Amino acid sequence: MLGYLTRRVLATIPVMAIVALFVFSLLYIAPGDPAAIIAGDQATPADVERIRAGLGLDRPFLIRFGEWLWQVVRGDLGVSIFTNLPVTRLIQQRLEPTVSLMILTLILSIVIAVPMGVLAAWNQGTWIDRAIMVLAVFGFSVPVFVVGYLLAYVFALDGFGLGLDWFPVQGYTPLARGFGPWLSNLVLPSVALGGVYIALIARITRATMLEVLSQDYIRTAKAKGVGSRTVLFLHALKNAAVPIVTVIGIGVALLIGGAVVTESVFAIPGLGRLVVDAILRRDYPVIQGVVLLFSFVYVLVNLGVDLLYTVFDPRIRY
Amino acid sequence: MKRRELLAAGTAAAVGSLAMPRLSRAQGARVLRFVPQANLSSLDAIAGTQYVVRNASLLIWDTLFGVDSNLMPKPQMAESYEASEDSKTWTIRLRPGLKFHDNEPVLSRDVIASLNRWMVRDTMGQRIKASLDAMEAVDDRTVRIRLNKPFPKMLFALGKSNAPVAEIMPERIAKTDPFQLIKEFVGSGPMVFKRDEWVPGSAAVFEKFAGYDPRPEVAEWLSGGKRVMFDRIEWLILPDDATKAAALQNGEIDWWENPVPDLVPLLKRNRNVNVDIADPLGNIGSFRINHLHPPFNDPRVRRAVMMALSQEDYMRAVVGDDDALWKGLPSFFTPGTASYTEAGGDILTGPRRFDEAKKLLAEAGYKGETIVLCVATDVQITKAQGDVTADLLQKIGMKVDYQALDWGTVGARRAKKDPPSQGGWHIFHTWHAGADCINPAPYTAFDAGGEKAWFGWPKSDAIQAGIATWYDAPDAAAEKAAMADLNKMAMDFVTYIPTGFFLGYQAWRKNVSGVVKAPFPVFWGVQKT
Repeated sequence: MLGYLTRRVLATIPVMAIVALFVFSLLYIAPGDPAAIIAGDQATPADVERIRAGLGLDRPFLIRFGEWLWQVVRGDLGVSIFTNLPVTRLIQQRLEPTVSLMILTLILSIVIAVPMGVLAAWNQGTWIDRAIMVLAVFGFSVPVFVVGYLLAYVFALDGFGLGLDWFPVQGYTPLARGFGPWLSNLVLPSVALGGVYIALIARITRATMLEVLSQDYIRTAKAKGVGSRTVLFLHALKNAAVPIVTVIGIGVALLIGGAVVTESVFAIPGLGRLVVDAILRRDYPVIQGVVLLFSFVYVLVNLGVDLLYTVFDPRIRY
Repeated sequence: MKRRELLAAGTAAAVGSLAMPRLSRAQGARVLRFVPQANLSSLDAIAGTQYVVRNASLLIWDTLFGVDSNLMPKPQMAESYEASEDSKTWTIRLRPGLKFHDNEPVLSRDVIASLNRWMVRDTMGQRIKASLDAMEAVDDRTVRIRLNKPFPKMLFALGKSNAPVAEIMPERIAKTDPFQLIKEFVGSGPMVFKRDEWVPGSAAVFEKFAGYDPRPEVAEWLSGGKRVMFDRIEWLILPDDATKAAALQNGEIDWWENPVPDLVPLLKRNRNVNVDIADPLGNIGSFRINHLHPPFNDPRVRRAVMMALSQEDYMRAVVGDDDALWKGLPSFFTPGTASYTEAGGDILTGPRRFDEAKKLLAEAGYKGETIVLCVATDVQITKAQGDVTADLLQKIGMKVDYQALDWGTVGARRAKKDPPSQGGWHIFHTWHAGADCINPAPYTAFDAGGEKAWFGWPKSDAIQAGIATWYDAPDAAAEKAAMADLNKMAMDFVTYIPTGFFLGYQAWRKNVSGVVKAPFPVFWGVQKT
């Protein structure tokens, strides 16, 4: 196990190196120029050129890539072209909101979606099953920003005049300032972001449960007079857990993508917005730093999922 | 306690605690929450000319002079000044007791270093620099500028609101290369920038500077006593317009600098929100043409487009059906200002002349070459103009390659001088703040200096000579005459095509008072109850 873990962690190094090269190359060939944005609309072309030279953006690709890679190897992600602030500081500022949003969404999604999937499978073909699947299709189909606007309209602006203006429209309050304010800012974004995720997990749970529920050992358990809840949650769900955990892991990428939109709609100062702003301004060191971080997190999540398999299925050994 | 009662009590407590932040927010009468027009990505208004950066910098840094609402420069950091009769020597004395945010006194050497940095980047500054014999410290509070040529517009240059603004920084900061962003944000203005609370792209915080001594006069734009009534001003960057509107209606923000036209009716219906024109000097839409390459290197082709162009089409696309927000503009200059002129602007008025335009195109030898139109589709104003242009060019028989790009890409693309077929461009759209178009001095887009001109590189020696005449004009009448000549020449030459004059709104909560109309948000004098 320890050997496997070490190999997997070491395998992240070439993965990260390839990601680094890919991102850097992509940004190099992408159109746009941070110097033009810094200079502003009043600047002349000569001004822009001088600023570009000052930023070192006129140097050859290999020199710039080599310098940046050497910095990254030393744990330094560089400095934002615009703010002159270290990229690590910018990431630190934005980490808590994004992690909070993702964890809350994850908890909310699992708590809602897994029972929904189990319930649908247990009641296959009934109106309960169909209702749950309709909800799942709805969750898949409606874009995050539409759900976000609707939620804000009803639960922040009290658009229907029902006295439901419980939550703020936008913003983020750090956990250090209290659990209530923290949660207050995250409820609507988590529900909005969780829609797709709930739908995905609910559908996979249902499908996997249906497969497991048709197995002989389930029939045997029922024949032995084991209670429905025990059959469902102890026998069936545990055996259906591996694909569900896999989907939850894959869904983290979905969450990262969704967080970009959700953070924009609810003005949460997270990593998603940081990277979007950086892309719009061509703030290369910030884009590179955040994409590297996202890649690293994704690799780690996959590793975590692989390790979780051994918990749910003792037959799996590394 | 029964389980149901326990649950009810728990729910009530949870909902109560969730509602708390809104109550505490409502108590912040000493905090102003402001949503600016764009993301505040830096704070150096010399190296960068973005309006949002200039607006933030006006809180941190002060100026020697400042314009009032009539664009007349008034002493600001300056206690007094003296100009020689020939306008060649200017002696400026600083007010006593001026301090930077690090409590160091403002000295003549800071003024000299700051003006030296500003002169490199500003068009008026460059003219001063070109005739500068010396800029010297007479004493710690007195600076003398000696020129070898009269420069009667010195006070306007030092007090104008157009970027780059001649802001005074500590010497150590002002010595930064004017083409590189400064790394320290220490000024002597009414607010201190809280660098430790800066979350770029999300929030920027300014705190009242206890050491600031406002002038006794009533504040007006950049002049007079800049009395800030708040302990803190928080700039909140909300990326989404619908969220901004919802936050304003919900009282989570106090002031939104530039609500989009689509959402203005919604805000006007809200009894807790005021909506009014933001900047009386408005904006001028711009159809920017590349003069380097065919077919637009031929003035006849440029004129052909101009005679078919309907400013009404452009303005309705930009601001919608609100007629109060736009007007036709047969001029390159800002309407309502002292030297405004429409001389030579007839080509932009009256029925549009499509047949004549087609004839002129044929006469100029246009043979169906593809016109590369670069449109920043992520900015509503440029997207609207680009759509109208594509339609216009097709109507007069031109073949259009509409390239939908983002503003960042257009910003880089427009600097390319390559032929349009090899990555260059023919046309892009932007707009100019009316405050920058009041006269030729701050108006970089009007310059026709060829290689050194703004994007499109128009070259007209006659226009450049006209600009020099304006600079040398000894009085208002001579300035006005020079402007009329300039407008006519630029219309004939088609430096670019003005697509119309339009205004924008600002919106604020009704418990906020003292919001004025200006080319930039004026925070002094604003109060909140």
